[in-house]
Amino acid sequence: MTQWLLAGVLGLLFALGTFLVLRRDVVRVVWGVAIVSQAANVYLVTMGGLVGPAPIGDFRGELGPPTDPLVQALVLTAIVIGFGTTALALVLTYRVYEEHGTIDVYDLGGEGL
Amino acid sequence: MTTVNDPLVVAPLLVALGTAIASLLARFDLRVERAVSLVGAVGYTAATLLLFERVVVDGSGVLPYYLSNWPAPYGITLVADALSASLLGLAGVVTLPALVFAVVNVDEFGQRLSFHPLYHFMVAGVSGAFLTGDVFNLFVWFEVMLMSSYVLVTFYSGPKHTRAALTYVVLNLLGSAVMLVAIGGLYATTGTLNMAAMARRLAEPAAYDVAVAPTLGLAALLLAVFALKAGIVPFHFWVPAAYDAAPAPVTAVLAGAVKKVGVYAVIRLFFTVFAAAEYAGGTALDYVGPVLLATGAASAVYGGLAAVGRDRVEELLAFSSVAQIGFVVVPLGVAALAPAAAVPETVPGETLAAFGVAAALVYSFNHAVAKGLLFLVAGTLADAVGSTRFADLGGLARRTPVLATAFLLGGLSLIGVPPLIGFFGKLLVFRVSVVAGAVGAGTAATLAWLGLAATLLGAVFTIAYVTRAWNAVFWGEPSTLVETAVPERWAAGRREPTATAADGGESAGATAEAAGAAGDDHAGADADAGGSVATASRTTLAVETVVVATLAVSLVGLGLGADVIVDAAAAAGEAATDTTGYVEAVVPEGGVDGVPADETAAADGGDG
Repeated sequence: MTQWLLAGVLGLLFALGTFLVLRRDVVRVVWGVAIVSQAANVYLVTMGGLVGPAPIGDFRGELGPPTDPLVQALVLTAIVIGFGTTALALVLTYRVYEEHGTIDVYDLGGEGL
Repeated sequence: MTTVNDPLVVAPLLVALGTAIASLLARFDLRVERAVSLVGAVGYTAATLLLFERVVVDGSGVLPYYLSNWPAPYGITLVADALSASLLGLAGVVTLPALVFAVVNVDEFGQRLSFHPLYHFMVAGVSGAFLTGDVFNLFVWFEVMLMSSYVLVTFYSGPKHTRAALTYVVLNLLGSAVMLVAIGGLYATTGTLNMAAMARRLAEPAAYDVAVAPTLGLAALLLAVFALKAGIVPFHFWVPAAYDAAPAPVTAVLAGAVKKVGVYAVIRLFFTVFAAAEYAGGTALDYVGPVLLATGAASAVYGGLAAVGRDRVEELLAFSSVAQIGFVVVPLGVAALAPAAAVPETVPGETLAAFGVAAALVYSFNHAVAKGLLFLVAGTLADAVGSTRFADLGGLARRTPVLATAFLLGGLSLIGVPPLIGFFGKLLVFRVSVVAGAVGAGTAATLAWLGLAATLLGAVFTIAYVTRAWNAVFWGEPSTLVETAVPERWAAGRREPTATAADGGESAGATAEAAGAAGDDHAGADADAGGSVATASRTTLAVETVVVATLAVSLVGLGLGADVIVDAAAAAGEAATDTTGYVEAVVPEGGVDGVPADETAAADGGDG
C-alpha cells in the first residue's frame, strides 16, 4: 500500500518539479530543481523496499528482516549535497538579479546557442 | 586471500584533497597559499604519474584499494586499472601547467578569495571519479567536481559569467537528480552499488535473481547524464557559455580533464559493467553503439561548423571542444557495434572494443593537451592585448613568435599533422571506422562508414576553423589595438619597466612574485567590451609564455614518443573491455579476506 502511495507522490513531485523548471522566473526554476532532487531522494528510499521495520534496534524477535538501511544512508548523503547545491543556486540567482536587474529568463536572454 | 592495499592508489586523491584543505588554511598570506598550491599541484602530477607507471608501464593489472579494509561489495572500493590510471595521468599532465598559468593569470583578489582551494577540490573530484569502484561514489565525486566548477565558472561574477553559470548549475542539478534515479534503480534491480559486483550479477542474472531488462533503461538514463557532463550534442548547449566565462586556466582543465570524466564513465559503465549483460536482442553495447555513434557524429559536424563562424578566440575554441568530443565518442560508438570483432595485428588492442577505447583515449590525450594549450594562448592574448576578438587582433606572429608557434602547434595537433600527437589520435579514430567497416556486415558496416564520413567532415571543419583563427590572430596587418598593446616584441618597452627579467618565471618563487606584480590583470574577463586596456606585467607574460611554450614542446615530444601513449591506450582498452579480469580483481570469487562474494546475494535476499 505504502508503495502505491509513494509512487503517486513521486509522480506528482516529478511533475511539479518539471513544471517549475520550465517557468520563466529563475527562483521558480531553482525551486523546481530542488523539488526534482527531493523526488529523486524519495525514489531512492522506496528503491530499498519497504518491507520490514525501521533498521534500528533488535531484530531477534518476530519482526523479520528490517528495511535496507543502505539506501537511507545514501539519501542522507544526497540530501546534504542537495542542500549545498540548492543554496548555491539561490545565491547565484540573487547574483544574477544584481548583475542583470531581472530574474526573467527571457529578459536574461542567451546567445541562441 | 589477504588484501594488500597499495597506498599509491589513493595517493592522487589524498594529495588533491590535502592541498585543497592546506590552501584553505594558508589563506592568511597569499604567497604561502600560492606556494602550497603549486607544491600540491606538483605532488598531484607526481602521484598520478607514479600510479600510471605502476599500473600501465609495469603492467601490474587492476589494483583495488579497500578503504578501511572493508571487503568489496560492502565497503567503498577504489580501483586503479589501466583505464583509470591513464586518465589520471592525463589529468596530472593538464592540471600542473594550468595552475602555474593561473597563478599569474587570475587576479590577486580572486586568488586570495578562493581560487586555489576550489581548483584543488575540482581536481580531487576528477581523481575520485576516475578511481571510484562504485556508482554512488561516482555520483558523489561528480558533485565534488561540479560544486567547485560552478564557482569557478562564475568566478568573475560579471553579467556574462552569472548567466553562463546559471545554465550550467541548473542543467547539472537536473543531471544529478536523473543520475540518482538511475543509481537507485540499479541498486533496486541488482542489489549492489559496486561496479564489479554489478557486472558479475548482470552476467549471471539467474544465479543472483536479477531482473536484467530494467537495467537497460537505467543505463540509458546514465548515458544521458554522462553525455551532459561530456558536452556531447544534443547536451552541448551549456559548453560554449561556460567555457567562455571561466578563467582561461580553468577552461583548460574543464576541457582537458573534467570533460573526460563523462567519457570515462561511459567507457567504464558500458564497456566494463553493462557489456556483460544479455538483453533481448543483444548486449547493452548493441543498443548504446548507434546512440554514441549518432551523437558523436553530430558533435563532430555541428561543433566544427559552429566553430568556423565565431568572432572570438575563446568562443571558437569552446565550439571546437564540442567538435573534438565527437572524435572521442565516434570510435566508442563504432567499436560498440561489433565489440568482439577481431582486428588486424598492427593496431592496438585485440578486439574492436579494445581498439575503439584505445583510439578514444589517444584522441582524448591529444585534445586535452592541445586544447589546454590553445585556451592558455587565448588567455595570454587577453592579458597581452586586452581582447580576443578576431576584429581587434592581427599581425601578432612577428611580435610574439613564441606564442604564434605554440598556437600553430596546438592547432596543427587538433588538425592531426604528423609529428604531433594529434596525428596518431586522428589516424586511430579513422582506422577504427575503417576496420569496423571492413570486418562488419550489414547495418554495422554501414554505420561504421557513416562514422568515418562524419569524422572526415569534422576534420575538414577543424582545418577551416584553425586556419581562420591562425590567420585572423597572427597574420595580416596589426590592428591599432595590437600596435598600442604590443609595440615591438612584447618583452621590450612594455609597461612597468621595473619588472624583473622576463625569463625568470619557471620557479615557484619567481612565479609568486610575478603574480604579485601582476595585480588586477584579468583583461580577458571583459573581452566582450572589446579593446579593454591590457595591464599585464612583463613577468606575467613571460610566465604565461613559458607555460604555453612548454605545452607546445610537449605536444611534439608526445608525438615523437607516441609509442608510450598508444601502448598505454592499448592497455587501457584491454582493461576496459576485460570485464572478467576487473570483476575478479575487485570482488574475487572466493571473496576478500574470507568473506565470500556470494554472501551479499544472501544478505540482499531479505530486502525483497
